[in-house]
Amino acid sequence: MTGVVRQISLDEWDRQYESLQRAGARRPGYVGPLGRHVQDGDRGLVRLRFDNSPAALRLWNFLLTEEDRLRQARTEGKKIVGAMKDLGTVPVMAYSLDNVVAFYPDGAWWIPCVMELSAGLLGIADSLGIDESFCPVRAMLGAFVTEAHFPIPDLLSCSVGATCDDFSAIAQRLNGLGYPIFWWEIPHRRSPEPGETAIELPGGFVAPQSQIEFVKSELQRVAAALEELAGQSLDEAKLAVGIERANQVRDCLAELRLLAFTAEVCPIPALEMLIAEMLTIHFCSDQNESLAVLQELLEEVKSRVAAGVGLLGPDAARIFWVNPVADLQVMNLLEECGARICGTEYLFSHALDKIPEDVPPLEALAQTALADPMVGSAADRARRICADIRRFGAEAVLVSRIPGASHCALEGEVIRQVVADELDIAVLEIEVPPLTDSMCPALMTRLQALVETVRERRKK
Amino acid sequence: MICAGIDAGSRTIKAMLMDADTKEVIGWGLSDQGVEQDTLASALLDRVRKSRRIGRKDIRRIVATGYGRNAVSVADTTVTEITCHAVGVRHLVPEAMTVVDIGGEDSKLLRLDGGGKVRDFAMNDRCAAGTGRFLEVVAERLGIELESLGKVAAESRNPAVISSMCVVFAETEIIGLLAAGKAREDIVAGVQAAIATRVAAMAGRNVDVPILFTGGVALIPGMDVALQNALGRSVTVSPDPQLTGALGAAILACDQLCGGKI
Repeated sequence: MTGVVRQISLDEWDRQYESLQRAGARRPGYVGPLGRHVQDGDRGLVRLRFDNSPAALRLWNFLLTEEDRLRQARTEGKKIVGAMKDLGTVPVMAYSLDNVVAFYPDGAWWIPCVMELSAGLLGIADSLGIDESFCPVRAMLGAFVTEAHFPIPDLLSCSVGATCDDFSAIAQRLNGLGYPIFWWEIPHRRSPEPGETAIELPGGFVAPQSQIEFVKSELQRVAAALEELAGQSLDEAKLAVGIERANQVRDCLAELRLLAFTAEVCPIPALEMLIAEMLTIHFCSDQNESLAVLQELLEEVKSRVAAGVGLLGPDAARIFWVNPVADLQVMNLLEECGARICGTEYLFSHALDKIPEDVPPLEALAQTALADPMVGSAADRARRICADIRRFGAEAVLVSRIPGASHCALEGEVIRQVVADELDIAVLEIEVPPLTDSMCPALMTRLQALVETVRERRKK
Repeated sequence: MICAGIDAGSRTIKAMLMDADTKEVIGWGLSDQGVEQDTLASALLDRVRKSRRIGRKDIRRIVATGYGRNAVSVADTTVTEITCHAVGVRHLVPEAMTVVDIGGEDSKLLRLDGGGKVRDFAMNDRCAAGTGRFLEVVAERLGIELESLGKVAAESRNPAVISSMCVVFAETEIIGLLAAGKAREDIVAGVQAAIATRVAAMAGRNVDVPILFTGGVALIPGMDVALQNALGRSVTVSPDPQLTGALGAAILACDQLCGGKI
């Protein structure tokens, strides 16, 4: 376990890395000083503060070297799938094949933050008519045009229908640029009508069997496209193994989340937890290694919890965070303001839930896909948030709105109202664009006020 | 024992001195905000205490609030304006359930519990719509003194509809309205209604009464009525609305001093 738990700067990490090297610590090949990524253009990392454990160093390096793994996969003759929007389902299928890797081009939405706009991706999207009235995920368009951030996938899939309007528009523009997309439809999740068979989905949502059958048929089409790409069959046995492996990652993260969110003293910063959660979506292009990375992080957290050490004191305000932030440094503000993360809903909670293993694989994946918080109503989503707040003991909710994102226009108020009705705790909405430097004082005020409100309400 | 509250707002700085034993206000002052925020706040505090013949060492605790609070080096600690406005209103109108604060650069809506503590709050985003800055832009464009806006708006017979929620676009819209011959008073009244609508949107479905209106914009005649119309509830302008934040900060300074939090 790390001695004193701290958040440290990039420079401090690089000095600490040298010490680790001198001490002879053996690390996987991709682990190196974080400063090298700044030299590669990720200069936004300088603004962040990082957990000081070797486990966190491995986590960050694993994340920041994904492009290398994808390019290596291409060199090795593997097929690359660019899964878009479904956030968690197609990669499970892709990794069931031994010659396929999958990633989410959607992840390019963090490039403007990490590279401080230097890559010009948003400008390219602007020039393609996808301007700032769209979600920052439009940076993905620029990444395809420059071909500088990931290899162009051999197959692009995208779920559409009851997903984000912005993303559909952006993906359609991409298709129009000459990147053919395999579209598959996800319907708006609805409650079963009288007489319909109701199926409980992972995460507690309910949908009619007919919707699951429909999604299953769509996933059968996805499976066929993957088979054609890979030149091998994707049968039930392979899918079952793929699901089992995905669940190992999800189980590990579930344990990590429970410990991190419920420990008396915050054992790990919000930023590292966000990155850890991201790994379950697509395994950062290496399923086995993503599990190893999470297991090391879990061991670190377990040690800290056992020793009662961590960041801040036990009186830190316990915040439930809704939606991912376009600027990662905002996660650091949480601890700076005296708060800690106690629950999250980053729009991919269905990628964290265990995939059922007691039903046929495609049905299980259909159930998981339909449990996507974005394909149901905001009120549905809010009720799941309430259930998780109760589970993790959060004292307030922070909804970080994504500028331009169509789903963000009204969901904050719906979530606020449902949380107020069910739990009567404070809900704060903030807006987080890809670069928040000039807004940090205003964001700090809001977060500090939330912390003050939580502390004042404890005095009842 | 004397304590002080300093509200370093975006347009003005307010300072208040309070007797920690009696919670009686013993002096206050106000000055324009500027680049040298720390110097200005310190100078204001000196001016207020000297007018009351109080030495610097007699002030036992200072709490700063407002957007420039972190720049106030004489302060012992800082508290956000959300908490300070709630505390200030609780002191003045204990039964208040909602506080609407509209300042120069931001606006906020606080929901209080029965005891005057903040239950929940909402603040405007980066956009200046729904803030005093909107009124400043309009006053400048129409060639009206800011202080006279309320008087001008009161003469309106047919308030203009300002559809833009962005100050920049609204300014363009105002130019269009002027070109179309719309009366200045109708434009001002329309802007007041637009600001009130923006603020009311933060209230969501429910807003509990009594509603207290604080902040510098509350001083502009007609804004309370515009807010009342937008919220569909009676709105009361807080006594000395511009000073509520400083009052809350002073009370918190007294509480901290007496509660041994120093």
